Amino acid sequence: MNDLNLTKTQSTPAVSGSWEAGVLRMDGDSYPENSYEFFGEVIAWIERFLGASDRPLRLELRLVYMNTSSVKAMMDIFDLLAEAHGSGRDVAVNWYYDPRNERVAELASEFKEDCEFPFVIAADA
Amino acid sequence: MPEPSQPPGPELSEDALIARIEALLADPAHADNPLRDALAGLYRHSAQQRGRLERLVRISDGYHLFERASNESLAQRYDKQLRRIEKIARISDRYQNSLREVSEALKEAALRDPLTGLGNRRFLIERIKEENQRCARGGGGYTLALGDVDRFKMINDRYGHEIGDQTLCEIAACIRRALREYDLCGRWGGEEFLIVLPETRITDAAQVVERVRAEIERIALPTVREPLAVTASFGLTEYRPGESLSDTVNRADVALYRAKAAGRNRIDSV
Repeated sequence: MNDLNLTKTQSTPAVSGSWEAGVLRMDGDSYPENSYEFFGEVIAWIERFLGASDRPLRLELRLVYMNTSSVKAMMDIFDLLAEAHGSGRDVAVNWYYDPRNERVAELASEFKEDCEFPFVIAADA
Repeated sequence: MPEPSQPPGPELSEDALIARIEALLADPAHADNPLRDALAGLYRHSAQQRGRLERLVRISDGYHLFERASNESLAQRYDKQLRRIEKIARISDRYQNSLREVSEALKEAALRDPLTGLGNRRFLIERIKEENQRCARGGGGYTLALGDVDRFKMINDRYGHEIGDQTLCEIAACIRRALREYDLCGRWGGEEFLIVLPETRITDAAQVVERVRAEIERIALPTVREPLAVTASFGLTEYRPGESLSDTVNRADVALYRAKAAGRNRIDSV
């Protein structure tokens, strides 16, 4: 299977990438000791998916706290999406937040800045 | 016939010079001139050199263009990376700020009794340890008062826990009202309150605690039956330099026990 499944730990979010649906979900806090190792897997999956076909890719994020290297890794991921979007690929990010924590929305909009692909920030119902 | 020498005139342009040489070489009148061969050779050599120079300039321009493009792309990449780093730092700072605020809120919550809003036992222990250190550095001593609500179990049993909780809140309000600005107080546990009166001898402290006792006596909590009257008893003791926190508290407890034994709603001291 080409699906990606990483269980949530205290310092890393749950990650599930569905090859079939073209959806990658990330849920939780991210402050791993080795961000490059953790995000390396995620980035590799995205690169594989983008390279393998021309089907749409959607990211569904419920990320709360992130350390600096995780912030950098997420920006690398958004750069990948921007590149794909630039060559006509259908990519999108939906970033959901707990309405009791408006800060997450503010941070998500910092990430969204200068992203030209569809990037929706919405309160979780 | 020797060629008449040219009158000195303005310097010829390159094109005009070439045209003139070409005309001289083509003129049959000069076919036998011994300088003609030399001039023709010089003409060919010069044409060759011009061609080389043009090629050299073209190649060199190419390199310049290439350098410039690579410089520009380097500068662009540098600017992009700089903006990226700024963005990472900005986002990261915000995460850090919210974390700091959460940690401050947690710290605040960890030291406060959620029911009465007074400091909790942990808060009291920290502050009393600070007081003891202050005394060890030569600061003045303090008086410690341990207060306990009289017949609190009966209040809870007869009126329910909600009224019991309200009683504790009222008492906390009385303590806050009666104390001086620099006195410390908190909920020691259950229906016990602890008051620290810094730089205060026991006789002066007794007057302050008496104000607290009198305030509590005035509480009339509305209930379904008659308004509920509440009283509390207090045990006072002065901190003795060098002793531990539990030594002081235990002595205050002895005084409190005596106040209870003597009929409650009063202050005793050891």
